[in-house]
Amino acid sequence: MAVTFIGVRHHSPACARLVHRTIERLRPAYVLVEGPADFNERLDELLLGHEPPIAIFSHHRNGPLVHTAWSPLCAHSPEWVALNTGRACGAELRFIDLPVWHHAMAGRRNRYADADERYAEVTRRLCRELAVDGIDALWDHLFEIPDEADLAERLEAYFDLLRGESEAGSEDTARERYMARWIRAAEAAADGRPVVVVTGGFHTPALRALVAEPAADPDDGGWPQVPRPPEGSVGGSFLVPFSFRRLDSFSGYQSGMPSPEYYHRLWEHGPREAADGLTEAVVRRLRKRGVAVSTADLIAARALTEGLARLRGHRHPGRTDLLDGLVSALVTEDLEDPLPWSSRGPLRPDAHPVVAEMVAALSGDRTGRLHPDTPAPPLVERVRADLERLGLEGAEPVTLRLTDREDLERSRLLHRLRVLGVPGFDRESGPDTGTEEVLEEQWTLHPGEHRLPALIEAGAYGATPADAALAALEERAAEAGGDAAALADVLFDAVFCGCGELPDKIAESLSAGLDASPDIGALGRVLETMLALWRHDRVLGLARSPLPALVIERCVTRLLWLVESVRGGPAPAEPARLAAMAAVRDALLHAAEPIGLDREAALAVAARVGADPQVPPDLRGAAFGLCWALGEPADPARAVLGVAAPATLGDWLAGLFALAREQVLAAEETGERTVLTVLDTLIGELTEEEFLVALPALRQAFGYFPPREREIIARRLLELRGVRGSAGSLLRSARSLLRTTADPMALAEAGALEKTVDRLLTDEGLITT
Amino acid sequence: MTAQTQQTPHDERALQRPPAEVRFADELERLRADDTGPRPPGWALSLQAARRFIMGDERLGIARKFVGDPSLIDRALVTLATNRGLMLVGVPGTAKSLLSELIAAAVSGDSTLTIQGGAATTEDQIKYSWNYALLVSEGPSTRSLVPAPLLRGMAEGKIVRFEEITRCPLEVQDCLLSPLSDRVLAIPELTGPESMVFAREGFNVIATANTRDRGVNEMSAALKRRFNFETVFPIADFDTELDLVHTEAARLLKQSGVEAPPRRELTEVLVTMFRELRTGTTGEGRTIDRPSTGMSTAEAVSVAHAVGLRGWFLRGEEGNAEDLVACLAGTVAKDNAEDLAHLRRYLEQQASQRRGPQWKALYRARHALPG
Repeated sequence: MAVTFIGVRHHSPACARLVHRTIERLRPAYVLVEGPADFNERLDELLLGHEPPIAIFSHHRNGPLVHTAWSPLCAHSPEWVALNTGRACGAELRFIDLPVWHHAMAGRRNRYADADERYAEVTRRLCRELAVDGIDALWDHLFEIPDEADLAERLEAYFDLLRGESEAGSEDTARERYMARWIRAAEAAADGRPVVVVTGGFHTPALRALVAEPAADPDDGGWPQVPRPPEGSVGGSFLVPFSFRRLDSFSGYQSGMPSPEYYHRLWEHGPREAADGLTEAVVRRLRKRGVAVSTADLIAARALTEGLARLRGHRHPGRTDLLDGLVSALVTEDLEDPLPWSSRGPLRPDAHPVVAEMVAALSGDRTGRLHPDTPAPPLVERVRADLERLGLEGAEPVTLRLTDREDLERSRLLHRLRVLGVPGFDRESGPDTGTEEVLEEQWTLHPGEHRLPALIEAGAYGATPADAALAALEERAAEAGGDAAALADVLFDAVFCGCGELPDKIAESLSAGLDASPDIGALGRVLETMLALWRHDRVLGLARSPLPALVIERCVTRLLWLVESVRGGPAPAEPARLAAMAAVRDALLHAAEPIGLDREAALAVAARVGADPQVPPDLRGAAFGLCWALGEPADPARAVLGVAAPATLGDWLAGLFALAREQVLAAEETGERTVLTVLDTLIGELTEEEFLVALPALRQAFGYFPPREREIIARRLLELRGVRGSAGSLLRSARSLLRTTADPMALAEAGALEKTVDRLLTDEGLITT
Repeated sequence: MTAQTQQTPHDERALQRPPAEVRFADELERLRADDTGPRPPGWALSLQAARRFIMGDERLGIARKFVGDPSLIDRALVTLATNRGLMLVGVPGTAKSLLSELIAAAVSGDSTLTIQGGAATTEDQIKYSWNYALLVSEGPSTRSLVPAPLLRGMAEGKIVRFEEITRCPLEVQDCLLSPLSDRVLAIPELTGPESMVFAREGFNVIATANTRDRGVNEMSAALKRRFNFETVFPIADFDTELDLVHTEAARLLKQSGVEAPPRRELTEVLVTMFRELRTGTTGEGRTIDRPSTGMSTAEAVSVAHAVGLRGWFLRGEEGNAEDLVACLAGTVAKDNAEDLAHLRRYLEQQASQRRGPQWKALYRARHALPG
């Protein structure tokens, strides 16, 4: 048969070598490569002489739905080698896969991902049989390390086995059908000369079968059409510089082969040098971080690596032999998490530093560079046009009124560029969260040469400033982890960029981050602001929108959890956490129904916290207040009596007043035995010492009442003593009585002296008290 | 060793739990017969055969005895073939001791040279002591010397197991230093060539340490350097763990005279819960707080066992969700009120979200938690 199929694993050096050898040997008329067919007209662009890793960045936007995908190419990618060797041998080159806007590509972000979940069952069995940890170790064991003599046959057997035992999805079938049409067309056009097809190995058995069967499609003559983007949507592909770090950061079913730097060295220098070079790189990194790595450790690591290679039947140490040897010799502690190379998934943030350095060294920080003649991505042109349209090209300071529609658009563009890290757009002043009264922003613009490279880089994030900013925010949200302050920054940047409806991915990272945040105060502030935006914001258009709703839900859940874990007995009231509790109350009062907050669970938490003597008094008071404010039946007078110790009374009340100030006052109007009457009695019974102990906290507690309400309280207290009249005038006269011309220090000294004299007289039995 | 493996079946039946080399004597025999790989000096099996003994081999009819990453076994075996000891660390209930027993049985054919570490462990129990009657009548001699596991392991070229090493006082742990680095043990009471016992090929040490009660931080740096550390993790794969818990619980229940087998759906809920609390993330990817207890597979088995017992002996039927909640309180929240709160939050926030009758029942039974 004139068609030679090479099923590869993307980014595998062994496959790349096979592709190189095969093309050199056959000198085919056509080399067909799995890649976006829409890029075929611009294949020359790809071979301008770039420095890999680079990627073909494809984007497709249909209304609010944006889909972007990368086809990353490194020096050791079989696809890259096929294109370069094919061109050198004078073959015609074609990409034969569907463009990103075809529905079969929906959801794919990395075209060259292995999506090995599809055949997880088979690989699990193989791993078990060969006693290796997972698919990556299995691949190395079977293909990267052994002699390459019969590699093509072994690859074929392997992929036949995978394909034979797994279910291909409808996306796979659609792509394969399309690729088969290209292959048939090439076969016809080649007229007996060889054709080489380089695709993911999972597709090869199906392609071979499809090409062998007679053409069923009536329109199956000649080269296939490249599907256009659906009506009303836009799509395209551009070259972007890529980096090993990004290549290694695809996760889940989007991920390809890990440790690109290792495979790069394997490709360039062979296994022995790759292992030695990386050991050196790991040690250098560790020593730079101040981790002692002794010669004895290195000898041990070397011995272990060699021993492992021999045990596993490798003719020279492979990636996992190297990593296993190093980790055994260098880590003298227990690990928190399983070794990252024993299974798939991103490195956990609490990974052991030595392990993290090892993974980083094998991942590498190589970045690619495009040839200067490469056409720029659309973002560059788009930003230029937007800046011109909105009159933002100059270098003068700009003042924007956010209530003005056009100014709001300008503000959003500038924020998007700021978020994308394009230099020369500096915000001097403006609102911080969108809830303040400030409605003006000041910007200074510095146009210059430095903007262009940054914009090309930012082009990888998306085709328009809005998409690109969103992608950048998504990345930041994922990086922020559980840091509530950083997450809040992402949130507000999203708000200023006009991204009120965030895509799932970023919402996911946000909620995961909020779920892990340990900071009650910070969460409370986020909740308060988001609640305000959800309820009232008109300027930025966030009222009742899903983003603040999601954040509110997560914050409330997390806060309730954190509050329940606070322990430690008596402690001074903390206004930050009381504010957080008040925010929870507001969320439950105003947003419980539409957002779907669990009121019952909240009340249950509050009841437990309120009754637990281990909880600091301010939180207990706040928990009690929360129940009361949410309309649960409560007996505040009894509760006050329960916390009457002078050291805790004020803090408890601070919590109560922060949450249920209105209820306290409302009860005064009707009740007999109210908080104030009970308090009045309690304070009346305190000794002077006790009163002094209780006073600062009591002052802080009553600080939660605004002056007008304090006057109501004063009137009530006077009434209790049978004094009627305007409390204000009474207070004023009382104040004027208290105001004194004498030095307060002298008065205090006099008081103390008098007390000492009294005590002495009492002690001597001269007076009775 | 041969004496032990040739014990009569009658003797074996009388033992509650014979050592691994007796329990799996026939498997070891088959592996030895089939073993063509190069053996490190002093080893009973090659590394490949030892690995097959632990990870299982269907063709030879060798059962899988340890569920975990094969690379862990690779590293452990290669370590033992070098001049460093092997330190197995991990949370309680991850089968560290079982693993050390299996490795010792595979490598030396003898897993009984075991030192159990504890606060009262002395050097005598590790190195050697004396038969005092003989010592007094004859003076120090090889006849009056009573060798302890370390001395025997060195003299016979076998693996010595040191369980829970970090529970020993530091100075006692450090008596391993010269046996591990110089491979020699001095007996100053004896004179002449007998005063130094040089380790034969095949000698090495497998120590285990528990990260929960006293971590490895309290080991001296000098001793740490002489060990390679291997962390043993809870089982990564859900189905594997579920199968293990289910079969083990069923076996234990049968042993305890319970006729109703455990309900698989309930075991599934139990295992899901243990895994989520252990890792601190739910199936939907939400972060939850981890309790301070290990939530190990072994504990899951014991809870499943207790659930079955409770159901059977209280009501004469299989255990239900309410039994599960009742038994959980004692396992998860041993002496820490905080953990009880973790558990309650889990039942309130997570169990309420799940589908399936067992989850619903679990959620309804949440009030059975004490406090």
